Amino acid sequence: MLELNTAETVIDHGLSLGADFAEVFVERSLTSAVNTLSSQVQAVESGIDFGIGLRLVFGAKVLYGYTNKTAADELKRIMIELAAKDQRDPRLGLVAFDFSSPEERHPATRTLSLDADVESKVAYLLASDSAARAASNLISQTRGMCRQKEQHVEIFNSEGCHTRDVRNYVRATLTAIAADGQEQATGMWSDGGLLGWEIREHVDPKKTGDEAARQAVVNLGAKACPSGRMPVVIGNGFGGVIFHEACGHLLETTSVAKKASVFHDKMGEMIANEAVSAVDDGTMVNEWGSINIDDEGMETQRTQLIKEGRLTSFLVDRMGAEQTGFDRTGSGRRESYKYAPASRMRNTFIEPGDADFDDMIGSIDRGIFAAQMGGGSVQPGTGEFNFAVTEGYYVEDGKIQYPVKAATLISTGPAVLKEISMVGRDFSLACGMCGSVSGAVPTSVGQATLKVDDILVGGQG
Amino acid sequence: MLARDEADQILTRVREAGAEGDLIIDQGQALSLKAKDGELEEHKVTSSQVFGLRVIKDGRVGTAYSEAADPESLQALVQQALQNASYAAVEPNEKILPNTAQLKTDDALLCPDDTASIDAKIDLALEIEARLASKPKVKNVPYNGVQDGLGERQLFSTAGLSALSRSRSTACFAYALLEEGENNAMEGLGQVSRQFSELQASRLVDSVYQNALDMLAGKEIASGRYDVMFDAEMLPSLFQVFAMMFSGKSAKDGVNPMRDKIGSMIADPRLTLRDNPLATTGFGYALFDDEGTPTQSLNLIEEGQLTSLVHNSMTGSHFGLQSTGHGTRGPRSTLGVGLHQLELVGGDAEQTALTAGRTVLITDLTGMHSGANPISGEFSFGASGFLCEDGERVQAVRGITVAGNFYDMLSRIDLIGAEQHWNWERSALMPSIRFSDVSISG
Repeated sequence: MLELNTAETVIDHGLSLGADFAEVFVERSLTSAVNTLSSQVQAVESGIDFGIGLRLVFGAKVLYGYTNKTAADELKRIMIELAAKDQRDPRLGLVAFDFSSPEERHPATRTLSLDADVESKVAYLLASDSAARAASNLISQTRGMCRQKEQHVEIFNSEGCHTRDVRNYVRATLTAIAADGQEQATGMWSDGGLLGWEIREHVDPKKTGDEAARQAVVNLGAKACPSGRMPVVIGNGFGGVIFHEACGHLLETTSVAKKASVFHDKMGEMIANEAVSAVDDGTMVNEWGSINIDDEGMETQRTQLIKEGRLTSFLVDRMGAEQTGFDRTGSGRRESYKYAPASRMRNTFIEPGDADFDDMIGSIDRGIFAAQMGGGSVQPGTGEFNFAVTEGYYVEDGKIQYPVKAATLISTGPAVLKEISMVGRDFSLACGMCGSVSGAVPTSVGQATLKVDDILVGGQG
Repeated sequence: MLARDEADQILTRVREAGAEGDLIIDQGQALSLKAKDGELEEHKVTSSQVFGLRVIKDGRVGTAYSEAADPESLQALVQQALQNASYAAVEPNEKILPNTAQLKTDDALLCPDDTASIDAKIDLALEIEARLASKPKVKNVPYNGVQDGLGERQLFSTAGLSALSRSRSTACFAYALLEEGENNAMEGLGQVSRQFSELQASRLVDSVYQNALDMLAGKEIASGRYDVMFDAEMLPSLFQVFAMMFSGKSAKDGVNPMRDKIGSMIADPRLTLRDNPLATTGFGYALFDDEGTPTQSLNLIEEGQLTSLVHNSMTGSHFGLQSTGHGTRGPRSTLGVGLHQLELVGGDAEQTALTAGRTVLITDLTGMHSGANPISGEFSFGASGFLCEDGERVQAVRGITVAGNFYDMLSRIDLIGAEQHWNWERSALMPSIRFSDVSISG
């Protein structure tokens, strides 16, 4: 995507300005989105993202720029502007690039550059819409979406790294709206992965429609959620957003290096209940948060974050390694060429345990079963987090009683990790987009159903 | 080649294909600086350009975009947009407006010359961090920065429209993390201006520090129902979360709960809310919308009565109305509707009456993107703020949740303050509102 000698010239120029490290990140991405509404196609969109990100590092300082232009002179001009205050004696020039091609761990066949498969996506979404409407006559509306992206990246740096990768992302979502008089409620089904439209072989439009409709209808009949401190059983799959928000962000060296994480000085210490072991894994085949190499050119890996309650690793990018002394974990990620890379999560999950669902519910006198979770956010400095329950049930005397709505769970990372007392066996992963300093990147969250003994539930009841 | 020439070539291809269309060209330059431990931690210089094309052929709409500006990519842009249109359902209401206007924003007003040097901007970033870091109990200043940007949008259509909007903004922000024993707190704030020289480091530093210091001692309060006020940052955020209630597009799509309530009382009779895009002191200023329709002030709620939704030409046509000048479209997105800058008209309550007795002042809400349902109006957010008695802050409050139904709350207004305040982003101008009987869990 960029002439080799242009990359050489630009990196040499960065070193001549006195930078300790210079990097060129080139991206060209094809995107496609098919949207349906009211049982018909609402919009088909497509585009080309193209740009070049330039990173210069002077000590602990990161200088970053980007442009859509490929001319060496324009790239050098941005470098000069970046280094205006930092220019110093030149560093030794680049010796030579050592090209390496990463192992292809995540095969894709129906890729966007071969065919956008618009007809097939429309057919799938309209069949899902029909299934949702057939599942309940309370379904008044659906919104369907299939997004696909083919991201080509090429990375050069002053340590001789030259590598390329292609990432194929696909995601399908159906939202159903149930209505009864003035009351409206939503339900959603979503799946995705690091693969092409061959995902169609694994997604059944009837299941898609049925599940979105089921959630919407449950929520339509939901009562106000009781509030106060109580035990909560959190469902599998996207329930793992609790760990993502409560702990994952706090283990990124982006926060750790700034001492803006409550865990920054806790390596090797017990930070969670011993029922908790947690992993961040970029190697899982075709999973949404997987990668072959990170956006700094390092091969991906499986990183054990917590083992039986003890903190065993942070998520470390290149700058994080320099600032904290911990080894890189292949976690340098960015949304696009518009962002400098930062330490980010991949597929992050609590490993399964052996508790029974019935035992978890049976142990609760008064609490909540949060079957489906929505999004949330965290303040890394204090560990305070919140997230929304999108399908919840009130539990009393060890039995699920009735659906509840508009519930929020809030706590702090350190507190909730110590309150996870039981972890089940029904492990699964779910897709999400995680927003942080280097933009929105695809990440999976995951867990088996688990029990938190004590957490603040906000509701209207 | 000038953007105008590229636009002419692209739109000529559109016409030759028997279609009509409009093209957005966004260009921008930006600077972003962040400090850490007395040094510049990040220095970002960017320039960007993106072309976004919408075509309409046989009543079908297609869009495509390209960040690459080489001839092959721009040719592919036209082909993709036409191909995408071929899959779309016929939309009889979406048209390229017969608008031949030549519009341009006032550079003297929105884009004044920036004479500040890069050194001055770096010095400000370092000063903000250093001054906050030197204060007692401050552990660090993890998020801070100075940003400066020049953005330009050009809009051309096959009908002959040519519109140019250009604006400059410069901003600074900081979040300080304070620690005392087992307690910690992080608070942040920002400032925005069109002139770098108007940014005031000392005011920002003092506000951020005081907010975080106050919040250090924060604790939960007993669950119950309280009279609640949201501060100048949180009240606009709350309206923004539920902005779908004014969307003509959501009404057309059947998901706006207000779609059949035009002319009905939906709020307290003292409440008047308007969208005021021509207020030049705001950063939501817009001379024209993304279809090139000139904007105007529009009352949304007048003395409690819902008077209008916001429309683009397509949603307006669907309901037999004109566009209200609220069409939105980015290079990468299809035609939608959006608000420019909300103004809530001041009421008659003086500060003493507004804050009489016991109130909870909410200064931060979390989980706003996930804890709200704009269809039903229900919300449940994490919150922090202050328990107040007669306007005096008697206890910092954190770790609570505030929950309710926003649409019901609009009718449960106790008092509306007389004085209006901009939020720091200068996107909304609102007085304080005292809501009665709001559920808080501690």
